[in-house]
Amino acid sequence: MHGSTIGTAVVTTTAHKLLKSIALAVTVALAAGNIGNEARAAEPIRIGFPMILSGPGAQFGSQILKGAEMYVAEVNAKGGVLGRKYELVPRDTKSRPDEAVRVARELVTRENVDFIVGTFTSGEGPAVSEIAKENKTVFLALGPKTDRLTAPDALHPYVFRISANTTTEGRAAAAIMAQWSTVKRVATIAPDFAYGRDASASFVAHLKKLRPDIEIVDQQWPKLNEVDYSPFVTAQMGSRPDAVFSVVCCGNFDTFAKQAGPLGYFKRLDGRFIGVAEAGSIEALRSLGSEYPTGIWGNTYDAFNWKPQDAAIAAAHADYTARLAKFTGQTPPSSWPIQGYLGMHVLTEAIKAANSIKADDVSKALKGLKIETPQGPMTMRPNDQQLTRGMVWGRPTMTPGQPFPLLEAAVYVDASPLMD
Amino acid sequence: MQDWITIVAAQTLSGLTNAMFLFLMASGLSLIFGVMRILNFAHGSFYMIGAYLAYELTQRAGGSGNLSFLFAALGSGLIVAALAVVIERVALRHLYGREPLAQLLFTYALVLAATDLVKLIWGTQQLSVSRPPALAGSIEIGPLFLPVYNLFIILLGLSVAIGIWAALKLTSFGRLIRAAALDREMLQLLGARVPYLFTGVFAFGAFLAGISGALVAPVTAIVPGMDAEVTMALFIIVVVGGLGSFWGTFVGSILYGIVLSFGILVMPRFSLFAVAALMAIVLIVKPTGLFGREVTR
Repeated sequence: MHGSTIGTAVVTTTAHKLLKSIALAVTVALAAGNIGNEARAAEPIRIGFPMILSGPGAQFGSQILKGAEMYVAEVNAKGGVLGRKYELVPRDTKSRPDEAVRVARELVTRENVDFIVGTFTSGEGPAVSEIAKENKTVFLALGPKTDRLTAPDALHPYVFRISANTTTEGRAAAAIMAQWSTVKRVATIAPDFAYGRDASASFVAHLKKLRPDIEIVDQQWPKLNEVDYSPFVTAQMGSRPDAVFSVVCCGNFDTFAKQAGPLGYFKRLDGRFIGVAEAGSIEALRSLGSEYPTGIWGNTYDAFNWKPQDAAIAAAHADYTARLAKFTGQTPPSSWPIQGYLGMHVLTEAIKAANSIKADDVSKALKGLKIETPQGPMTMRPNDQQLTRGMVWGRPTMTPGQPFPLLEAAVYVDASPLMD
Repeated sequence: MQDWITIVAAQTLSGLTNAMFLFLMASGLSLIFGVMRILNFAHGSFYMIGAYLAYELTQRAGGSGNLSFLFAALGSGLIVAALAVVIERVALRHLYGREPLAQLLFTYALVLAATDLVKLIWGTQQLSVSRPPALAGSIEIGPLFLPVYNLFIILLGLSVAIGIWAALKLTSFGRLIRAAALDREMLQLLGARVPYLFTGVFAFGAFLAGISGALVAPVTAIVPGMDAEVTMALFIIVVVGGLGSFWGTFVGSILYGIVLSFGILVMPRFSLFAVAALMAIVLIVKPTGLFGREVTR
C-alpha cells in the first residue's frame, strides 16, 4: 500500500515535468509564429475506403485493403506526402450498391475524408461515382470492371478507374483465342449481370473481328452465385464447342470447376478454355488445389511468380512481392492487394504533382498522369480517366512438390493497345 | 440422333443429382412440418453449418481420404443434430401452440444467428473440401461422362427415401410419428411421450440437413450465405409436393431438378422462370400441392 502511493507520486511528478516541457515547446512555437502551419501539417490526409469486408466478396476486399494499408504504412514511415500522413478510414459495403452509397456519403459528409478510394463490384462503382460527382470528391475505383463506370455519358471530373475494364479483358481473351487456328465453334459462359454480359459482348465482338470464320454456338448465363453449374455445363457440351470463354467470377469459379471437371468438360476442351475474372488468381489455384483444371488459360491482377523480361520491372516486382509477403505474413502473397496498393500510389503521385489536396487540382493532375508501378509504367488516360491496367495471363500447371498449380509462363498483357 | 441421347442423358443425370441433394434436405423439412407443424426457416442454416463442419472435420482428420470424408459427413450430421436438440429443448418448445408468426420469426432469427456464427468461427473466405478418392473419378460411356460422385448421391438419395418410407411404415416409432402428424393431442392422451418425439424428429431432420451440407461440400464453394439459395429451392419443392407429404417431397425434388436442368437446355435465360412457373401451375391446379391434404389441426 505504502509502496504504491510512492509510485503514484513519482509518476505524477514525471507527468508534470512532461506537461511543462510540452507547454514550453508550444510557447516557443507560438513565439516563432508558425503555430497555424504546424497544426495543419500534423493533420492527416483522410482516405475513405468503401470495400466489401463481409460476405462472399470479403476474401477479395480484405486483401485489397491490405495492399492499401501497406502503401500507407510505407509512405507514412517516410513522413507522408506534402508533409502530411495518410489515415485510411475503411467501411464495409456488404457487397450492396445501396450500402456502398450510404457509407460513401457518410465518409464524405460526416468523416470529412479528402478522397474516396475503393469499391469492388460493378454495382458499387457507378453508385459511388454519383456521390463523388455530387460532392466534388475525387474517387479512385479499385475493383469495378463494367464499362459503364467511365462511359462518356457517366464520366465526370472526379471519377478515375484503377481496375481493368470489360472491354480490355474481353479483347485480350479474344486475341489469345484468335490464335487457335483449329477452333471454329466457340461458346461462352458468364454470370447473368452487368460484368458477365459486358465482358462476353466485348469478347464476342472482338473475336468476330479477328476471326470472321468462327461461329458462336452457345451462350450460357447462370446467375451470380449459382450453386449447381452441371446442367449449364452439360447443355453447353451438347452444342459441341471447340473452345470456351468464361467470365465465371466472384468466388464462383471453384464451384464451377469442381462440377464441370468430372463431367469431362475440361478434358473435351483440352485446354481451349479461357477463364477471365481472375480464374488464374492464387486464391482460385490454392482453393481448388489438385482439382484445378490445369492447362486452361486464366488471368489475375498479379502473380507472385510472374517473371517480366525487363530487368528493372522484374526487380521492382520482386521487391513488391517480398514486402507484401512480409507485411501480410502470407507466402505466396495474395493477388488482390496490388489493386489497393496501385490506387494509393496513383493518388500519391497525383497529390505530389498537384502540390495540393484540393479535388480540382488533384483531378487535373490525375489526367494523363504517368506512374511507375511494380508491374511497369502505366498511364491514367485523360480522355476516359482509365488507368492502362493490363492483367497477368497464363496456364496453371502442376509442379511436383507443390500442393496447388501455379501460373506458368505468365505474361502481362498491356491494355493500352486494346482500349480504343 | 446419338447426340440427342447423350444430351438428354447428361441433363437427366445432373437434374437427378441436384434433386437428390435437395430431397435429402427437403425430406427433413417436410417431416418436421408434418409432425411439429413448424415451418423451419433455419433448415438451410443447418445445411450450411453441416458444410462448414465437413471442412473442419476433414481438416482435423488429416485431409482428403475416404475414411476422413466418411467421418466428416457422419460427424457433421451428428453435431448439427445435437445443436438441434439444444435449440428445440431450450427455445423452440416454448413456441408450440403459439401463432405461426412467432415460430416463423424465431426460425428466421436462427438464420441470421447462424450466418454470423459461421463468420465468427471460419471467417468470410471461401473454403473447399475435396471429393473422397473413391468417388472422385467418372465413368465414360461413349461420349457421356458420368461422375461417380453424382451416381453415389443419386443412389444415396434413393436409399434414404426407401429407408425413411420403410421406417415410417413398418416400425413402431414410425407409427408414432405418423400418429403425431395426424393428431398429437390424441396421441398424448394415449400415453405417448410427445415432447420426446418432437425432439427426436427435429434432431433427425437437422441430421439430414447437416449431412446434406457435408455431402454437397466437395462440389461447391463453402461461403457464408450459401444457405439462402437452397432455402428458396426447398420451399418451392415442399410447396409443389405438398407440405408434410413424404412422397410429395420426393416427387417435388425430382420435378424441381429435372425442370431446372431441361429448362437450362431449352431456354437458358429463363430456366429459373421454368421452376417458378411449375410452382405457379401446381398451386393453381392443386393449392395443397401434388400430394398434400387439407390440414386440420
